[in-house]
Amino acid sequence: MENPVDRLRGILSGAGYDFIEPPVLHDADTFLDLAGEDLRRRMYLTSSAEGIELCLRPDYTIPVALHHLTAGGDPRRVASYAYCGPVFRQRPGETGEFWQAGVESIGRTDRADADADTLALALGALAALGVRPAVRIGDQSLFDALLDALPVPDLWRRRLARAFGDTPRLHELIEEMAGRSVRPRLGPIAARHGGFPPTIEDVREEVARLFATGGIPEVGGRTVAEIAERYFEHTALTAGSPESLDAANILLRFLAISGPPDRAALALGELAARETPAMAAAIGAFTERTHGFVRHGIDIDAIHFAADFGRRLDYYTGFIFELSDPSRGGGRPLAGGGRYDRLLSLIRTRNGTGEDIPAVGFALWLDRLGVPAR
Amino acid sequence: MNGSSSLIVAIPSKGRLQERANAFFAGHGFPIVQPRGERTYRGTIVEIPEAEIAFLSAGEIAGQLASGNVHLGITGRDLVEETIDDWNARVELVMPLGFGFADVVVAVPEAWVDVETMADLDDVAADFRRRHGRRLKVATKYFNLTHRFFSGHGIADYRIVESLGATEGTPASGAADLIVDITTTGSTLKANGLKVLADGVILKSEAHLVASLVAPWSGEARAALDALARGLGAGKAATGFEPLRKKLRRQDV
Repeated sequence: MENPVDRLRGILSGAGYDFIEPPVLHDADTFLDLAGEDLRRRMYLTSSAEGIELCLRPDYTIPVALHHLTAGGDPRRVASYAYCGPVFRQRPGETGEFWQAGVESIGRTDRADADADTLALALGALAALGVRPAVRIGDQSLFDALLDALPVPDLWRRRLARAFGDTPRLHELIEEMAGRSVRPRLGPIAARHGGFPPTIEDVREEVARLFATGGIPEVGGRTVAEIAERYFEHTALTAGSPESLDAANILLRFLAISGPPDRAALALGELAARETPAMAAAIGAFTERTHGFVRHGIDIDAIHFAADFGRRLDYYTGFIFELSDPSRGGGRPLAGGGRYDRLLSLIRTRNGTGEDIPAVGFALWLDRLGVPAR
Repeated sequence: MNGSSSLIVAIPSKGRLQERANAFFAGHGFPIVQPRGERTYRGTIVEIPEAEIAFLSAGEIAGQLASGNVHLGITGRDLVEETIDDWNARVELVMPLGFGFADVVVAVPEAWVDVETMADLDDVAADFRRRHGRRLKVATKYFNLTHRFFSGHGIADYRIVESLGATEGTPASGAADLIVDITTTGSTLKANGLKVLADGVILKSEAHLVASLVAPWSGEARAALDALARGLGAGKAATGFEPLRKKLRRQDV
């Protein structure tokens, strides 16, 4: 009888993906830079004789992206990679070394179809193992489009955008923006100026003086101009204004939307028509993706969309999904996937200012699926 | 450590912390003697023959408590919370000792006039990579305290730079943008052009008598603990032993 790992490999290559095996050992810096310091305690770290911090790969997504970029050729070229092998993470109550299988599809600009194909393939792979999971989906691009459409100061927009995926924190921030709970105000320089609002020159002068007396170099770090700019941006925040109260209410109504994607799209459409017509394009893309699910024969009534479901990694930009089954793997996700259009540009330019490169993929947790590693 | 001893008490092997620890025990009628002179790393308490004193380097004591190699130890709360992953489950803070005060704080350059709170720092951290092509660098030896505190404030966009000494100088040398470090009076921070954020006190630390919940607590060890507790027993000190006794009893069940 065919081994389950071979069966999975067959399904992924049958869908047009080429298997690659990137290195196990990596420069830890790359991972910590991309995923943040939060990843540190979940990784297995070691160091080279030269003192460079190394890690065992905690997943395949970043190693596959590195492979794509270093293999030569146009980074925007279409490529379909599959993998199956060990990854290493500190997981309370689970083993540190375990296997994942999955795919990464890079370069496809027909994003809605690529998203639908990816979910369909993940569901097909699980079906081959006899698993019919619960499907949970989210879409960060809807939230981003809503923020763009709302009359919210930039500083607030950025704060809210990066809290997406952490719902309690997001609610705290929205409360604060609405002025129902207020942060202490910034006033040290105003106080020094006898209560008169300082000019930008006053602030620059003060910052330069403090840099000099502290002996702290401006080079390579925050600059006088940058600090003065943010000082004014912050004092100009309109917490508690009627506009921000309206914006807060719209955000809360958006975050509460959930259900099967077709019905969620109706609710999103109603909200947008009344409050934020500029969201129409993002909702159109969402609906197009749902059509893709239907074409693949996926039962969309069994899909649960939640408007507040997101991943707290800044290279995830849109569609995400999680597949689980309460009777397997302790209810933890059996598969997770999503769109990470910003990852490749972050690797290439470090500050992520380069153009996004479309990328979407998923990983199956073979240990939670009870598939023996091999 | 030493399998034949019933109750092993770890205290710092040098410096002011050792002096204060010795004075603490002596002050409660338990002078520590070092039979083979100051150069050895073993001592005894005459009044409690079942107890043995192990002089360990200050940084090591929390780890030895966590692995159950010593029963009791004198160490800073900062080191307990930093070194021991699930410290609440592995050790018990029996009593604060009134010395070794230090706050673990988040400090940024005073020139950052736009940053007064952790929320401000969050804005700056998130924007930093876009502006400078790298993440904000935090110099510290407190990896875990920093990580927990920062993620509690929703801050993810930073990198830790390990610093084992003179941390407060790292912003001036360009090795880091800000620091997480201990401070007693704040004057060293000030001298280095740094200020503590308004809500940037991670922990108010102090030396504690700490008990291991995972050490082998034999009948003799508990008897020795009781003798020690009786000696320390006046006033607030006595109350600290009760939760410990309760937890040890619960383990027996």
